[in-house]
Amino acid sequence: MKITLVKKILADGSPCRKCAEVQERLEKEGLLDRIDETIIADERDSHSAGMQLASLYKVERAPFFMVEEEGSEPRIYTVYFKFVNEVLKQDTSEKDAAKDILDNNPDLDFL
Amino acid sequence: MSQTDLDIDRLAAEYAEQSPRAILELALDKFERIAISFSGAEDVTLIDIASKIRPDVQVFCLDTGRLHAETYRFIDRVREHYGISIDVLFPDTDAVQELVKNKGLFSFYRDGHQECCGIRKVLPLKRKLETLDAWITGQRRDQSPDTRNNVPVIQKDNAFSTADKTLVKFNPLANWSSNKVWEYIRGNDVPYNELHEKGYISIGCEPCTRPVLPGQHERMGRWWWEEATRKECGLHADNIKK
Repeated sequence: MKITLVKKILADGSPCRKCAEVQERLEKEGLLDRIDETIIADERDSHSAGMQLASLYKVERAPFFMVEEEGSEPRIYTVYFKFVNEVLKQDTSEKDAAKDILDNNPDLDFL
Repeated sequence: MSQTDLDIDRLAAEYAEQSPRAILELALDKFERIAISFSGAEDVTLIDIASKIRPDVQVFCLDTGRLHAETYRFIDRVREHYGISIDVLFPDTDAVQELVKNKGLFSFYRDGHQECCGIRKVLPLKRKLETLDAWITGQRRDQSPDTRNNVPVIQKDNAFSTADKTLVKFNPLANWSSNKVWEYIRGNDVPYNELHEKGYISIGCEPCTRPVLPGQHERMGRWWWEEATRKECGLHADNIKK
């Protein structure tokens, strides 16, 4: 299995806050070494590896994880807790899971 | 009806231009374990239409503990008007107490609203949705140009589906504009939240909702202090050269 983390650089050259948060969480939870490769989606460069991956898999949010396993289609995770639960088989707190759900589904805001 | 028997994409295409009533008829016909999520605002329209199809339609409401008094009064009025029971869901006491103890009562102005909404809305919603096969929301495309541009009338709920269960979400009002909803409310003597008479369009928790000026988008009435960072997570795919 190969896990790729795609982080974003904003159009103004600054790093994406959410991407930094996710990286911090991976570090804090001792999971960073499970990530095989980190690549950048640079909004200033549509040819950057991360932007090309996002385009290929129609991903509209960053950060995201791509999980590749032999014999199956790559799986994309945009929700941190789902990635951590399903791929890394780690538990996350309900509170973190709820925040992740909202971060990735802003349409729920209006409920 | 098992969700796996339902071709969601096909139904979404077939019902894309259908009326809210037709979509609700489909939803209530296909699912027994289905409920309307009622926010205490103009999504009362859903209850009005659905109660004419199935008078004992299940309705639930997320009481965050921070709603306006007007909204609480309205929820009770709706209950009485339609003769339905409304399942009012509360957040987990320990989680709220921990948040307030650590961060105070207004942490959302400083840290963003996601943590508070996560505890007060998303977790109770998640628990409720675990008991259902489908749910019905009042989401409309015109509510937020940023986040609801592509709301389909029927969709697989990717946020709350699990590896074991596909949850289906119906958005019967997706195609209706705010004006159209209000035409319906006025034309059918549907009760409405008195906050609408005070300039509120979108109604949520009291500290995070404000009235808007004529011509302002309803989005301006919610979490207005967060506008600068709202779009940060989007990958601007339109700019990607394939």
